[in-house]
Amino acid sequence: MADEQVDIVVIGSGAGGAPLTHTLVHAGRHVLVLEKGPLLRTQAQSPDGLSDFKQDETFATGAEKRLTVPGIANAGDSYFSSHVEPDLNDEPHIYRGEDGGDRATIEGYTAQVVGGGTQLYGGVSLRFTPDDLRLASFNADRTDLRDDPDSDIRKEARDWPVSYDDLEPYYCKAEQLVGINGTRYGQEKPASADYYQKPLDPNPISVHVAAGMDALGMRRYRTPLAVITEDHPPSGRTVPADRDTIKTAFVNRYGDPLGLKSNTWVSLLSPLAGNPNFEIRANCVVTHLETDGSRVNRVAYRDPAGQTRTVSAKMVVVACSAIESVRLLLLSGQRDPAFAERINGNGLLGAYFLTHCFGGASAVVPDRTDKSRTLDSDWATDHCARPEYLHEHGLWAGGAIYNNTSDGALPISLARTWQAMDMDNMWKGYLYDTSMVADGFEDYLDNNFGRRLSVAFMANQVPQRTNRIELHPTVKDKWGRPVAYIIKTWHSHDRALMETLAPQCGDILAHGGAGVDVVGVGSVENSVVRIANHILGGARFGTDPADSVLDPDCRAWNFDNLYVTDGCFMPTSGGANPTLTIQANSFRVGDTLVGRL
Amino acid sequence: MGVQVVDKDTQYVLNWCTKYLARDSTDPRHNFGQFAATDPRAAICEAWRFPVVDSHWDGQSAETSYPYNDVTLVYDARATPAASVAVVGTFSELYSPVPLQPVDFLGEPTGFFAVTVRVPKGQVHTYKFVVDGTFLVDPVNPQMATMDNGQAWSRFFTDGCPIPLVLERRERDVLWRLVGHLLPFRLEENSRFIRQVYEQLDRSARDREFPLAYKLDEDVGVVNYIDKLLAREEEHNADDYHACLGIIDRLLRSRFGGADCLTLPPEAYEDLYREMETDHVDGWDTTRYRNPRDFLLLLRRHAMTGAFVHPRHGGNSGAAGWMYLEDRYRDAQGQTLFDWRRAIEAPLGHNTDYRG
Repeated sequence: MADEQVDIVVIGSGAGGAPLTHTLVHAGRHVLVLEKGPLLRTQAQSPDGLSDFKQDETFATGAEKRLTVPGIANAGDSYFSSHVEPDLNDEPHIYRGEDGGDRATIEGYTAQVVGGGTQLYGGVSLRFTPDDLRLASFNADRTDLRDDPDSDIRKEARDWPVSYDDLEPYYCKAEQLVGINGTRYGQEKPASADYYQKPLDPNPISVHVAAGMDALGMRRYRTPLAVITEDHPPSGRTVPADRDTIKTAFVNRYGDPLGLKSNTWVSLLSPLAGNPNFEIRANCVVTHLETDGSRVNRVAYRDPAGQTRTVSAKMVVVACSAIESVRLLLLSGQRDPAFAERINGNGLLGAYFLTHCFGGASAVVPDRTDKSRTLDSDWATDHCARPEYLHEHGLWAGGAIYNNTSDGALPISLARTWQAMDMDNMWKGYLYDTSMVADGFEDYLDNNFGRRLSVAFMANQVPQRTNRIELHPTVKDKWGRPVAYIIKTWHSHDRALMETLAPQCGDILAHGGAGVDVVGVGSVENSVVRIANHILGGARFGTDPADSVLDPDCRAWNFDNLYVTDGCFMPTSGGANPTLTIQANSFRVGDTLVGRL
Repeated sequence: MGVQVVDKDTQYVLNWCTKYLARDSTDPRHNFGQFAATDPRAAICEAWRFPVVDSHWDGQSAETSYPYNDVTLVYDARATPAASVAVVGTFSELYSPVPLQPVDFLGEPTGFFAVTVRVPKGQVHTYKFVVDGTFLVDPVNPQMATMDNGQAWSRFFTDGCPIPLVLERRERDVLWRLVGHLLPFRLEENSRFIRQVYEQLDRSARDREFPLAYKLDEDVGVVNYIDKLLAREEEHNADDYHACLGIIDRLLRSRFGGADCLTLPPEAYEDLYREMETDHVDGWDTTRYRNPRDFLLLLRRHAMTGAFVHPRHGGNSGAAGWMYLEDRYRDAQGQTLFDWRRAIEAPLGHNTDYRG
C-alpha cells in the first residue's frame, strides 16, 4: 500500500497524545493520530444514538477468562478484565514475581481505546507540588531520611528539567480545556488561575472524612475530578438538566456513555472533528518505527483488518502509555541496531520505571448512605506533601490523600473487590469467604453495602535503575512481537513511607466520628505487581544526555523528530495521580512542536 | 414484513473486528476447554462476542426501543475473498437472505462483511451465511444448534432470553435449590418480597420488564443467568456444571431414598454446602469431578453476579435483586439508600438521558 505523508503522527490518543494534538491542530498542523484501541463514542456522537459504553457492571469486569500463555507461572488462573482492557492471552504484560516466576498481569494496563486510560479512570486530577519536581534539591542535604542505608535517594533523585513555574500555565490550560470540577482553597499547589467547575454536593458518607481531616488539622479541598458539572464551552459538552444525575457509581473503570467524564476523546479530540488537518484512525496498532539516521521517517502499523501500512511524518510522537511506549521503542531497536544505538546508547531506555507508593485505610461507618449517588472522590488533602511533614517523618517526598467514594458502591463490585489486593485477584476474597451464604450473606450486605468508606494515599516512589521495562525473552503477542516484561521491587524507604502514610489514612477515619470502625490499614509494600495503573518513567527527561533518554522538551536525545509524551518522561513519579501532569506536559510539548514545524 | 436492517457505520463494526478477530497468531490461546483441539476458534479472542448483540435505539422513545436488540452479523472473508455474502436465519421471514455489506477502511475493502438487524429481545435464532452461493455455519460464533434433520446451524440469543439452552430440566432444578441456599432471597420475608414485586406489576408491566421471565422466584433468575453464561461467555465452565449437578443429584437421591431434589428440605442443601466448603463430600464422585469446593466457588461467583447483574443478561429478573436492596435499605424518612433507577435506562430504570 502506498506510503502516506503527514506533518505529525501521534501514536496514542490518551493523556500524553491528545493535548499536544489539540494544540497542533489548532495551530494548523496536519496531525494523524494512530490508536490501537477502538473508537467508542458517546450517545450524542454515535450515528445510531447509542454509546458503546454502558452503565452495566459486567463492562468493568467481564466474564471469566483463563491465562494460557505458554511458560508463565500463573497459566490456568482466571482473570477478569473490562471490555477495553487488552486480552491478556493476546498481549500480556509479564512481571517477575518475588519467587522469580514470570506471571501475566492486568495491572499496569490502562485501557486500549480512543482516550486511553482517561476513559476508565476515576478522573482524579491533582497537580503535583512544586517540590515533587525538585526532589534532588529538596533532599540534597538531608541527613534525616529513614531506611535509606546506601543513600540511594541522594544518588537517584532527579530534579525535573522544568520547574513548577514552567509547567504552571499548562496545568491551567489542562484544567480549562479538559473540564474539571473541584476547589482550589486548601491546596499546596499554587495556581495562577482557577478554571475549576463547581463540584456537586459530596456523598453524605464523606462527612466522616471531612471530620477526620479537620480533627487532625489537615487542610482539605474538594478532590479535582475530570467530570463536568456545568456546560463546558471549550469542548461543546452540556450537562443534563438534573445535574445530580451526573453522580452515578459507574465512574472508575467505566467509560461514560454521556461523555460527562472528561476523557481526552470528548474533551480534546472529538472537538477537532471536521477539521481537515486532523484525522484519527482507531484500531491501528503501530508495530515499529523506521529511521534514516537521526530522523524517524516511517511509522509502520497494522490497520483494523491486520494489513501492514506505513505513514511518513515530519515528526513522530510516541504516547502509548509508559510500558507500551518503551516497548515500541525497544521493538524498533530490535529490528534496527542503528535505532537501538540512538535511542538507548546509554542503556537507560526502560530503566527507572516508576509507579506510586500507595495504600490507605478502610472503615465501616454506622450510618448507611446511597453510595450509588457519587463520583470517584470527595475530599483531598496535601497535608502529607508539606515540607514540614516530610522533615518531621524523615521522608524524601510526600503524597496526596483523598477518599474514595465509588468503590464497592454497586452490589457486584462490592463482592468482586472484596479483600482483593489487586486486579489479578478480583473475586477471590468474596468467593473464598464461604461463610457469606444465606443469613451470612445478608449480614455481609447489612454491614457493608453503603457503609464502606476508604481513604487512600498516592505518593512518590524512589527511582531505582533496576526497576525497569524490558522485552520478554520468549512471550509474544498476537502479532508475534515480544511483550513487555516488568521488573520492579520496592525500596526500603518506599516501605517506610507507606508504613507512615497508611496509618495516617487510618487516623483520618478513626477521627471521623462516633461509630466509625477502621477495619483495614495497608499498602502495596508486600506486592511487587501493584501498579495502580500509574505507569511512569522508563524514558526519563533531563538536561544531561548521559543521564536521560529525553531532552527537556521530551525529544529523544539523538533524534531530530522523535518525541515521547506519556508518563514515561517522568524522572520521579510525583505525589499524586499522574494524569493531569501528563496532560499539562503534553500541552507544553505541543507549544514547542508548533515552534519547530 | 421483512427483517428491519439497522444502519451501523464501519467504525462500529471495525471496533469489534480488530480486537477480537485481527491477528497473525494461530496459537490456541483462547481455548479454556470449550473447543476441540482442531477448532480454529481457539485462536480467536472471545469468539462468543459474534454476532454482536447490542442495545437498540429507534430515535423515538425508550418504550418503543426497549423491546429490541441490534444484532450485528460479521463474516470474515480476509483469508478467502468472497464476492457476495448474505445471511439466512429464523429472524427473517421465510428465511429470506439478508445481504451483508463489505466493510471498508480508508476506502479499501477490509475483507470483513457485516449487517445489523433488529431482533426482539428474549429470543433464540439460528442462521447460516451464504457465501457466493454456499451455505456455511458462522466460522467464528461458537454457538451451534442441531436441527431435527441433523444439520448444524449457528445460533444466537438476544437479551433477557428465558429459553433454556445448556442445562437440562433436572440440572436446572438442582441448581435452583443450590442457588436458593446461596442467596438471601431464600429467607421467608425476602422471598415474600420478591413475589410481591412480581405480583404488584400489571400485565403490561410484566410483559415489558420481565420479557418471558424464567421461573421468577427466589433465585431471581440466577439459574437462567447461569444457563445463558454457559451458552456464551463461559461455555468453558459448562462441563463443570453438567458433571457436578449430576453428581449432586445422584448423591442427594441416595441420601434421601430417591426423593426428588425439589422436595428435599433446605437442610439437605445446607449440609451439602458445608461439606463442599471443606472439599470433602460424602459420596462425591471424584473421578468425575475432583474438587467439590472448586465448583462451590464457581457457583458463588455466578450466583452473586446473576442476582444483581443488569437484567439484559438473563439474571436479576425484572430487577428484583436491585429492588430487594432498594427496599431493604432506607433512611429514617423512608427514602431508599440504593436508588438504582437513577442510573439505569428507562423503561427499566428512570434515566431518560442514558439509553442503555
